Amino acid sequence: MILGTAKAPLQFVADATERQAFLASHEEAVLVSASLPMRANLTMIENIALVLQFQQSLGFDEAVARVLPMLERLGRHESAMSRDTDLDHEDRFVAKFLRAALMDAPIILVDRPALQLPDIRYPPFLDALLSSLADEFETCWIVDYAWNAPLYDRPHSGTSA
Amino acid sequence: MSAIGDFLVRRTLGFEARLRAWGNVARFTGAAVSGVFSRDTYNSATREVIARQIYFTAWQILGGYTAFAAVLSLVVTHILANAARDVGLYDYALEFTFRLLVLEIVPLLTALFVALRTGAAISTEVSIMRIRNEMGALEQAGIDPMKLELIPRVIGGTVSVLCLTVIGVTVSVLCAHFVITGYRPWNAPSADLQLMIGKVFDPAAMAALWSKAFLFGLAVTVIPIAEAIHAPRQVHFAPIAVLHGMVRLFLVIMLIEVGMLVIRYIA
Repeated sequence: MILGTAKAPLQFVADATERQAFLASHEEAVLVSASLPMRANLTMIENIALVLQFQQSLGFDEAVARVLPMLERLGRHESAMSRDTDLDHEDRFVAKFLRAALMDAPIILVDRPALQLPDIRYPPFLDALLSSLADEFETCWIVDYAWNAPLYDRPHSGTSA
Repeated sequence: MSAIGDFLVRRTLGFEARLRAWGNVARFTGAAVSGVFSRDTYNSATREVIARQIYFTAWQILGGYTAFAAVLSLVVTHILANAARDVGLYDYALEFTFRLLVLEIVPLLTALFVALRTGAAISTEVSIMRIRNEMGALEQAGIDPMKLELIPRVIGGTVSVLCLTVIGVTVSVLCAHFVITGYRPWNAPSADLQLMIGKVFDPAAMAALWSKAFLFGLAVTVIPIAEAIHAPRQVHFAPIAVLHGMVRLFLVIMLIEVGMLVIRYIA
């Protein structure tokens, strides 16, 4: 389990003010947030590949060759050619997270995962995702409200209380 | 008195808003043109956006546009030829047609055609991108939205207008020749056509034609984008941004056309 370790620390905040203060204190971090959507007219893989095309000047095929194995590792490769409107919340989250991971930033901040993954019990999903991609990022903070903290106590329980 | 005061205040604020909007257009044009000449702008992603823009603006409509140019040219040439025959100036009909149809009407209608089809689409898309904060997301991912989304659209749109103008001009020259020769161009000496082309399309006319087409191309992309990126990030402002962009675009296209006519024939 990676959640709650130094690699993926949890930060529970009491309210929006505290959350914004925490985000402001980590300006160098790359944000994975509901307020930062993907480009609507690009496919999932194009959205992710863009980072490599811009930051490393890779060609599209080269960028895809790097991104596709990651999607395959996460079991999301079948959604690779779908656009934003055809993706589910998990696909969208994976795409945004991969985009952040490929930026080689020292810190990734996942802001309010409950807002981005509304239809699932998200701590197990986050744990599985971060464990699979542990070699692709340095540190990933999960910023969540304190009232969601109990969900992280048993991230793999998978049953409703 | 207070009603007059309110009216004057409203008019002044409206005037200021319009000035600001034109200033935004000028600033964005400057940034876009300088971006076009920057090597940093070009990578595999921006080249893809340029290619897509040319595909959607020019290639996708090529058949319909060519047919439209041909029908328009045949009809206008026919009208001009009949009018010239009525006043005993049929020998000048081809020259009239080239000067009016090929140098003025076809480039203008091409710009309006692209403005209606692509200008409105670009304005809507950029407005939605801005409202959804897709541009902010790109910036956060280290991608300059100006380089990825805006400058490539300006390049693609301008290239498309230039290409469509070349096609429209060529089609209208051929159609004009076809009509003026009584629908039997094979009977007319080809030297006549060459002579007339050489006379009408002199270097000054060509410079004016391509300057105009270039300015049209720039206008149909730059103005809708400039309007969209400065609109407030609220959904109900999206149609207003499109509306303002299209009205401003129509005005600029007409100003370019009239300006070029003045420079060419009056100044």
